[in-house]
Amino acid sequence: MKVDITQYDTNEKSTWCPGCGNFNIHLALKKALVELGKQPSEVVLSFDIGCNGNGGDKIEGFRVKGLHGRSIPFAVGAHIANRKMTVIADIGDGGCLHEGVDHLIHGIRSNYDITVLIHNNENFGLTTGQITSTTKEGKAMYGFPNGRTEGAINIGELVLSLNPSFFARGFSGDPEQLSNIIKSGIKHKGFSVIEIVQICPTYNPESSLEILKGKISQTESTNDIDLARKKIKDTEKIYTGVIYTNSKLKDYYSNLENRKNRKSELVDEVKNYDIMNILSDLQ
Amino acid sequence: MPKFTLILMKDRFSIKFGGHSGQGINMLGGFLSKALRDLGYAIFAYREYPSIIKGGYASYKIDFSSSEIFSSSKKTDILVCISLGALDEYLPSVSKNGIVIHSVKDFQLSRENAKYIQENNIKIVFIDTSLITQEEQASLIMGNIVLLGVLWKIFNADLSILEKIVVDYFSKKEGTDIEAEKRCLKAGYNIEGINDLSIKDLPKIVSTKWNESIVLTGNHGIALGAIAAGCRAYYAYPMTPATSILEILGNTYQKTDIVVKQAESEITAIQMVMGSMYMGARAFTATSGGGFDLMTESISCSGTTEIPLVIVLGQRAGSGTGVPTWSGASDLAVALHSGHGEFPRCVLCASDPIDCFELIQDAFNISEKYQIPVILLTEKQIAESIFNISRLPSSRKIKRGIVQNGEKRYILTKSGISPRWLPKVGNKTYLTNSDEHNEYGISTEKEEDIVNMSEKRMRKIISLKREIPEPKYYGPKTPNIVFVGMGSTKNAVLDAMKISKKAVGYLHYKYIYPLSYGKIFKLSKKGVKLVLIENNQSSGFGRLIKEQSSFYISNTLNKFDGRPFFVDDILDYLKQ
Repeated sequence: MKVDITQYDTNEKSTWCPGCGNFNIHLALKKALVELGKQPSEVVLSFDIGCNGNGGDKIEGFRVKGLHGRSIPFAVGAHIANRKMTVIADIGDGGCLHEGVDHLIHGIRSNYDITVLIHNNENFGLTTGQITSTTKEGKAMYGFPNGRTEGAINIGELVLSLNPSFFARGFSGDPEQLSNIIKSGIKHKGFSVIEIVQICPTYNPESSLEILKGKISQTESTNDIDLARKKIKDTEKIYTGVIYTNSKLKDYYSNLENRKNRKSELVDEVKNYDIMNILSDLQ
Repeated sequence: MPKFTLILMKDRFSIKFGGHSGQGINMLGGFLSKALRDLGYAIFAYREYPSIIKGGYASYKIDFSSSEIFSSSKKTDILVCISLGALDEYLPSVSKNGIVIHSVKDFQLSRENAKYIQENNIKIVFIDTSLITQEEQASLIMGNIVLLGVLWKIFNADLSILEKIVVDYFSKKEGTDIEAEKRCLKAGYNIEGINDLSIKDLPKIVSTKWNESIVLTGNHGIALGAIAAGCRAYYAYPMTPATSILEILGNTYQKTDIVVKQAESEITAIQMVMGSMYMGARAFTATSGGGFDLMTESISCSGTTEIPLVIVLGQRAGSGTGVPTWSGASDLAVALHSGHGEFPRCVLCASDPIDCFELIQDAFNISEKYQIPVILLTEKQIAESIFNISRLPSSRKIKRGIVQNGEKRYILTKSGISPRWLPKVGNKTYLTNSDEHNEYGISTEKEEDIVNMSEKRMRKIISLKREIPEPKYYGPKTPNIVFVGMGSTKNAVLDAMKISKKAVGYLHYKYIYPLSYGKIFKLSKKGVKLVLIENNQSSGFGRLIKEQSSFYISNTLNKFDGRPFFVDDILDYLKQ
């Protein structure tokens, strides 16, 4: 059945600031899903709390707006229960690198077959512009006129240090490329981490569309992790595209010995089970 | 030499194994539990151990009787020790005319212990297991099997019963010399010079049905109940006393095909449960107090999003890290009140493996039908003690309350239940929202929406209360005194009721919240003395009864020393 992009539209009014990167991120996401032929009812979107989460009612699909920082483990639970669904965790740099950074780390280690979109606008936007670990050094932020006291986290470096199976970086100013990246991430069988360099005109106007466009450089995918690291560490250029893949790593579910010969999904298996054979083993 | 006659608490007898952590105390206890059962006794076994891997001292205590028992006695009729520390520690718990068998060379009694032994006519027997194992060409560690043989001889029981259990166990373990184990067992059984220790007053074996019974911990009951109820995923982070659920479900996963995941934190575990339950699989998690605290934001989230959620809260002693491997029941308040905001929930509490087996199934049914978080309380005493039960009841019918498809996910209804349909290809999509929302799930800040949705959710408690069973009364028709309680307190009271000559009853609560309190009023009107019994200091259950019914039970029996109620505790109270 053909899918039309309008099937992903809702009637809810937008609440994002004019010029917010989220408009294009949603456009790119919808386009990717349409081009992959996914019906909205085949998609589970697990949203974080924050500006990105406020997009939960602006796109169709089975959407969940749960707890701050927890969109990854919720998405993982959903994926394990029913792998027929395309599961996407949608989270900001605050939720992902602060409140729930353990989920990112263990998600990569476990290589669950889901896609993670990290909206990196370099601040906590919805709570009016607090520091995150991607905020530029020295930039005055909410309550900290002299900028952050702590160090920074480079998302790409963190991800690549954990033997990931997929890392990509997109840009909200280039929805066409971002859409292709998201498509690759969904198709990849494993934990696909996509960092999205997101424009925040209200709390991060210094990183404007024009400035970022001057720094962005599209790159090709590699399976050479050292090369990928070199690109990530570059301070002059912001490389975008699928930066690193490792197709040799099996996804979590494929590693489950007891599920190897099972064709059904957990959601299809809820019924009364006879426990007598288990009970006699325990005696 | 005097003849040893043990004075028994009516029809009960007890044995305690003591040793270092890591010396195989649990294995010995397991052997003897099963052997006694196969001999025709009902058993109850209780473990005490420190929160360390090696060293310290640990014990495995078996009480047995001709009829069903559910709790331990304080004193020990026969103490079997394989380490000095355990011997010093447990000697004062040996009953009058009791026996101590040990393998500790050059053991010197402290002055205090020597006095105790003399005053109580306790016989101490040293078995040189290092010599015997050497003679039998067995390894030194098999000395514990020698002691088991000695014990079995004292009971004058058929060796083949015990031997079969030992052989069965070791044949499943690779690299063990089964013949050497058998030789050691026989050497202990045939040892000379212990004839005067034979016990004449063991409980009578009245029926042989116990040898067909099953031996389970509460956590086994939880795991088996979850399997029976169609649970397909278990996500957890290790924490005593819930940890062994992970072990049981993990070790059986090839047969059940359940996904068993050790998550990186309790928060991860509970979020994964919610993700799987949201999709329509059955999943749950289990933890103890500290881990539960970490989960509480998700409990509130479950309340608002109406995603079903099942959590087992295995209680242990203390706040903070507390006394991690010991028992208590002081987490009712957190089960009832955890999570910000106002939302409906259900709290259940188990007392034994049968409760565990049935209540985890109820938890899934209630959680799915009412789309609320359900918290099932257990205690270390229930989770890890070994109960002997004649059989498990048949499984509960699965009730899910799921519809094929729908229009408004959070439709306002009289019952408060908005029919739930699953996220599935072709179904109507919806937003599951932890923001306050309208009937479609869309975030709202309108007064009317906020009130309507909050009232809708709270109506589910009224609907649920209608199907919550009454508490169960145990005891005579016209009691003088009735204990009111939940959890493992039932077990000690029921055992004491068999011994005490007083007309004692027990009102047992399994369904804690919403609370059904009519029976308390009825008993009170009859003029019965009600006594609240709780394994905590501040009577959390009594506070709930007061809050819900305005009825205040002023008599209380509390215990909060990390130990469960022993049958003696109840008998002592009744003597007052």
